[in-house]
Amino acid sequence: MIFPFSLAVRNIKRKPFRFMFMSLLVMFLSFTLFFGAFTIVSMQRGLEGYRARLGADIVVVPNSAKGHGSLDDILLQGITGTYYMSGKDVDKIINTDGVQAVSRQFFLTSAKASCCSSRVQIIGFEPETDFSVQPWISESYSEKIGDGDVVIGANVSLPDDKLLKFYGKTYYVAAQLGQTGTGLDSAVFANMNTVRQMAQDASSLLDSDPFKGVDISSAASAVLIKTEEGCNISDVTDDINIHITKVSASSARAMISDISEGLSGVSKVIGALVAVIWLLAVVILLVVFALLSNERRKEFAVLRIMGASSRMIFTVLLCESIMVSVLGAVVGLLCSFALSFSLSDTLKSMLGLPFLLPDAGMVAVLSFASLVLAVSAGIVTSFFSARKITGSETALLLREDT
Amino acid sequence: MKLTAKGISRRFFRNARNSNYFYAVEKTDLDLEEGKITVLIGRSGSGKTTLINMLAGVLTPTEGSVMLDGQDIYKLSDTDRSITRCRHIGYIPQGQTGLQSLTVLENVLAPSVMYPSNSDQTKYAHELLNAMRIDDLSDIYSNELSGGELRRMSIARALINSPEIIIADEPTADLDNDTTSLVLGLFRQLADNGASVLIVTHESDVLSYADRVCKMDKGILKISD
Repeated sequence: MIFPFSLAVRNIKRKPFRFMFMSLLVMFLSFTLFFGAFTIVSMQRGLEGYRARLGADIVVVPNSAKGHGSLDDILLQGITGTYYMSGKDVDKIINTDGVQAVSRQFFLTSAKASCCSSRVQIIGFEPETDFSVQPWISESYSEKIGDGDVVIGANVSLPDDKLLKFYGKTYYVAAQLGQTGTGLDSAVFANMNTVRQMAQDASSLLDSDPFKGVDISSAASAVLIKTEEGCNISDVTDDINIHITKVSASSARAMISDISEGLSGVSKVIGALVAVIWLLAVVILLVVFALLSNERRKEFAVLRIMGASSRMIFTVLLCESIMVSVLGAVVGLLCSFALSFSLSDTLKSMLGLPFLLPDAGMVAVLSFASLVLAVSAGIVTSFFSARKITGSETALLLREDT
Repeated sequence: MKLTAKGISRRFFRNARNSNYFYAVEKTDLDLEEGKITVLIGRSGSGKTTLINMLAGVLTPTEGSVMLDGQDIYKLSDTDRSITRCRHIGYIPQGQTGLQSLTVLENVLAPSVMYPSNSDQTKYAHELLNAMRIDDLSDIYSNELSGGELRRMSIARALINSPEIIIADEPTADLDNDTTSLVLGLFRQLADNGASVLIVTHESDVLSYADRVCKMDKGILKISD
């Protein structure tokens, strides 16, 4: 079957514009498919990361945490926020029925001034009780986080000397964490002693004391709760909300469910857009192939008269379609690659949802699937025209043309 | 190699007041004899092209059979019929039939490379192009040729596999007198070497080359020796 292939190559070389439009359409197919799948997978991975990082059954924050800089903002978008509940309220939470374990977190925002390396969210946690941050840190750092050490999120730039300055003091960066796709990638973590020291330094350094009226030694920004086995999480949540007036408890499942709903909505919109684009492109491809095959009736008739079998003509059309589709699909994929990776930060902030780029293996799978589907669409749409042409009698093809 | 048509006819569908079909060719018998030139004449629309299309294996008869050395070519599979057509029947259809993505030489060589073959026909292709006086145009693309040059190219292409049966539909339509003589002389030579040649024409010059003249009239073939 050398002749059909070489003829197909010659046809494309001699009439590139004839095939360019088809190539463009297939390019569009692979582009949209990869981009859509890439975005959806990134959001799904982001949600997984978010779920894993939350690690608690209930999250309690002070009422003042509502609005800008809320826990959601910190977790999802990396927006900095500081709010505190008193140690008395924390004790009440600990003593609520159904609470098995609690872990306090203390939030602090570094200043955008000479005293600090950069403005980031600093999260203090209790290594003895923590079940949320520590498992994640242990993925990249197995040692204990000592006093004066910090661990930074994946998006925080790591200085060469591994030292970061907060409120006039330098801290050693013990480790950098893996990407989660959440706002935590832009945060700095330290144990409670270190963060409280930073808070005290901030209190004495800053003109307006952000901790006025706050007992730094006992206050907390968030309390993560693990409930006793078998107890109803929503009952415990309601109990806290009813009896401790200055705090707001949310079940982690509800928080994830909100995000999950948002993600599902965005995924559906992306999926629908990709489907509409595909439908349109496939219909146009069908029409283009049909018009093109019709225009080439005489060419096929001449080949038949010379002795080409209908299978040979079919193979010529198939070879052309494969080459044109592969070219379009590869170019579309490369464009989609470039756009997906370069726009991932913009997409993340636009969507306001957890967003974690797929790993190399997943990118390879998505690329392969996009290529195969786009090329298949190109081939299948040409198949109908090819079948119609090869099913016609040669003399009739020739006669209708002349 | 002998080509014989037995009782072939061809019916086409057409919306008309009294009938929705008509016979372009009525039941016809025809032998193409080895070493002879048969000339087929007739008015436009008389069914000449339909008849030779059936003989060339590119239009299935409504009834009857076309036998090539005793084998009904329409009973062969499409692939086998195509191979038979490629190797044994040189068909020169009406009109301009160049493949535009190929050069003149590649056009002529195309039937020889369609199916696996041991021999390289490039030298013979040049001989044919030379005989047709277009060898100097062998490297240009067929869409750059004039009507007469295209005609000569398709004649050379039909002869590249040295077919035993040659069927030509108005082969000299676009040619000047000199080239017409050249082409008809070549057909005479091929017939003298044993080929069966069938020429459809409107031109009286061709009749002087004929061993036998057939006339088509309203789908009915009349043979006069």
